[in-house]
Amino acid sequence: MKGISLAYNYLRIGILNEFQYRANLYIQILQTFIALATGLIGLNLVFSQTTALGGWSKPELLAVMGVFTLIGGIIRAAIQPNMERLMEEIREGTLDYALTKPADAQLLISVREFRLWQIVDIITGFVVLAVALSQLNWLIDLWSVLGFLSALVMGSMMIYSFWLIITSTAFWFIRVQEIANLFEGLYAAGRWPIDIYPNWLRYGLTFLVPVAFAISIPSQALTGRLTLETWFGALVFTVFLFLFARGIFKLGLKGYSGASA
Amino acid sequence: MPSVISLQKLAKHYQVPEREAGLKAAAKGLFKRQYKNVKAVDEISFEIQPGEVVGFLGPNGAGKTTTLKMLSGLLHPTSGSASVLDFEPARRSHDFLRQITLVMGNRNQLSWDLPALDSFDLQRAIYSIPADEFKRTRDAFIEILEVGDLVQKPIRNLSLGERMKMEIVGALLHRPKILFLDEPTLGLDVTMQKRIRTFIAEYNKRYGATVLLTSHYMADVEALCKRIIVIHHGKLLFDGNLSQLAEKFSAFKTIGFTLENPATDLSQFGEVVSTDGSRIVMRVPKEKTSAVTSRLLNDLSVEDLTVEAAPIEDVIESVFAVKKEAVE
Amino acid sequence: MKRYIDIYLSMMKLSILEQWQYPLANYFYMIGMIAEPVIYMVVWSTVAMQQGGMVGGYTPGEFAAYYIVWTLVRSMNVVFTPYGWEWRIREGQLSMSLMRPIHPLHADVAFFAGWKVVVILLWLPLAFALTLIFKPELNPTLLEMIVFFFAIWFAYLIRTMTLTLIGMVTFWTTRVSALFELYFAAELILSGRLVPLSLMPEWIQSFAWFFPFRWAFGFPIESLVGNMPLNELLIGLGMQIAWIIVGIIFVNIIWKIAIRKFSAVGG
Repeated sequence: MKGISLAYNYLRIGILNEFQYRANLYIQILQTFIALATGLIGLNLVFSQTTALGGWSKPELLAVMGVFTLIGGIIRAAIQPNMERLMEEIREGTLDYALTKPADAQLLISVREFRLWQIVDIITGFVVLAVALSQLNWLIDLWSVLGFLSALVMGSMMIYSFWLIITSTAFWFIRVQEIANLFEGLYAAGRWPIDIYPNWLRYGLTFLVPVAFAISIPSQALTGRLTLETWFGALVFTVFLFLFARGIFKLGLKGYSGASA
Repeated sequence: MPSVISLQKLAKHYQVPEREAGLKAAAKGLFKRQYKNVKAVDEISFEIQPGEVVGFLGPNGAGKTTTLKMLSGLLHPTSGSASVLDFEPARRSHDFLRQITLVMGNRNQLSWDLPALDSFDLQRAIYSIPADEFKRTRDAFIEILEVGDLVQKPIRNLSLGERMKMEIVGALLHRPKILFLDEPTLGLDVTMQKRIRTFIAEYNKRYGATVLLTSHYMADVEALCKRIIVIHHGKLLFDGNLSQLAEKFSAFKTIGFTLENPATDLSQFGEVVSTDGSRIVMRVPKEKTSAVTSRLLNDLSVEDLTVEAAPIEDVIESVFAVKKEAVE
Repeated sequence: MKRYIDIYLSMMKLSILEQWQYPLANYFYMIGMIAEPVIYMVVWSTVAMQQGGMVGGYTPGEFAAYYIVWTLVRSMNVVFTPYGWEWRIREGQLSMSLMRPIHPLHADVAFFAGWKVVVILLWLPLAFALTLIFKPELNPTLLEMIVFFFAIWFAYLIRTMTLTLIGMVTFWTTRVSALFELYFAAELILSGRLVPLSLMPEWIQSFAWFFPFRWAFGFPIESLVGNMPLNELLIGLGMQIAWIIVGIIFVNIIWKIAIRKFSAVGG
């Protein structure tokens, strides 16, 4: 309970802070617009040459792009800034400040930063999704909405856990920003349907970087392709990844407390 | 002798956005900015002769760094003029830059991931130092600072003080005639400070270089500088030697003596600073020194009486305190 | 002249030594970068396959060649970013480099040129692996290889000039990330980075001819994989040199104004 109120307080401070820099809102809108425009240009270039890509139609890929934008917004609002700060503090040896607070260390390092204006991305993602779904003549169905929302939560948790794992490696290796860069590159792969990639890359994307799960499972839920088995599989994978990430983080922390004098 | 550094009514003004505290004021400031003209350096004039080591003192924000930056060519003066080695610093001619150096305690220019030796070689190329001269200078510096084993290690593995030594070697390899040192010992421990101080003194002696130095540590100034220039709020307050500074600004003197009867009440004579057994140290206003001394000798049975000027730190502190009262 | 060669070689040596300390980090950086072209490659190979083996004049094998060469050209395009300029001014690093009796831009050009040497060495095994996986169709002539060699270094210089110009905007204002993003988006579309320009609509292709982007990106790739006739190769190199010269002129003019401004308000 204390943890939740702590998280709430950090969130509040984060949001107040963001209100100080309102110019960033306009910059964010512009950035989202640019990303959307280049995404649409890419999509249109492909579909100017063909009518379907690996069995996916244009509106279906538009829906995938919506989910991609949406989850990208969540990552950049809540996950990435916290992890980058953690990385920085591990490297500079200033993590001690955070560790001396009476709260669960993992919770604490995960809620300190919040980029409010990324909400523009999240909203845009929903809008793109809505446009795509209307093109697909989609009818609202409770089960697919629930499936979609739960898949969204699981996908975010997976990506959070993955980020925490790579960030925790900073306890052992110094320059890890490049790994973050690697993630961004691989995340971009989620813009396209996962089944067009060669097998080795598909498995890499699904298990190493849970991009496929995070983006394609919510998309599948909306288009009625999600089976119960896949849903349970995703759930098990999410829990496993979360526990694994927690283990790695704690292991790294143990070594850190000894080393920072 | 002609001076190597000469300032004539040198001034630097900044336009600083003015803002009141609070969110509302901050929001208002988004649309309309109020500017204030701040005189960071306000018509300063002085001359420095070749080979002099001058301490440049003043509280934070007094304009020391701004002055050093104008003298090294990083900043253009608003008015007045500066001349260093007969160059106009602001033109930043390469011949000028080759003969000076600016060391700032919190800036580094050596490659973080490599041993200093590799970075030194780049300095050689940039300053076109002949190879044999470069090697001689480098080895001499390494020897004086006793850093032979450190120059082989990557900078990131060195302590703050060791890093500063490397920075100083790197900054002096081209054997500049003028050294602008801005807080070269900031944050270092006492032995490191001492070592760097000795090195600066040695460099000055060996090459006859001129040094203008700012420091928060009075020990640096006392050890290195015969002459002191004090500025405050951008204005020149004092220019002279160390003892004159104490003479001019110290409002108090300290009187030390041994008292036979330690229980004596001394409050009528002045403020007791410390008591160590029978040894007493008192602080009295300068103009009353002789009166108090004679009364002490007459009224009480005291021995080993000494009269001293206040330590330099106290003097400096009182200079700025006096000034502050006068200003506010 | 001899002095500048000495400085360039010393600076390059320093940056090679520096980068060589982090082969792993450099590799992660390059692998992260490779994700982007691999995605494009897969998408366009799929399209080409569906269209009977060719789209926009490219077969899947040629797409593979295009995007594998892309990875090298992209690496050559990495220079000091506008965000780096912001950092350099804020942290006072610029002041330190202004104290040296040499134009600070020389140091930038030399530093990144040294880094490129490391990058090219690290790229070779990566390119080999990509070749095994994606089976590119690439049969360059000796002439094309020679042109390519010069083209990638010219590309490096062009991008150094354009990003230096953009970066110097930070002398006036620090709220320029929006401008940078617009610039990078234009670059993505007009350079041949997103897709080979021949897949773009006609008007974009002719539009792109008048911007520096394609000469710093698409042209070097096409010179190696595109079976261009000799005159087009020479025109391309000519355009590159022209852009470098224009870049140097503009950089010098803006630099003088920027430094005057910098010296007025301090750093």
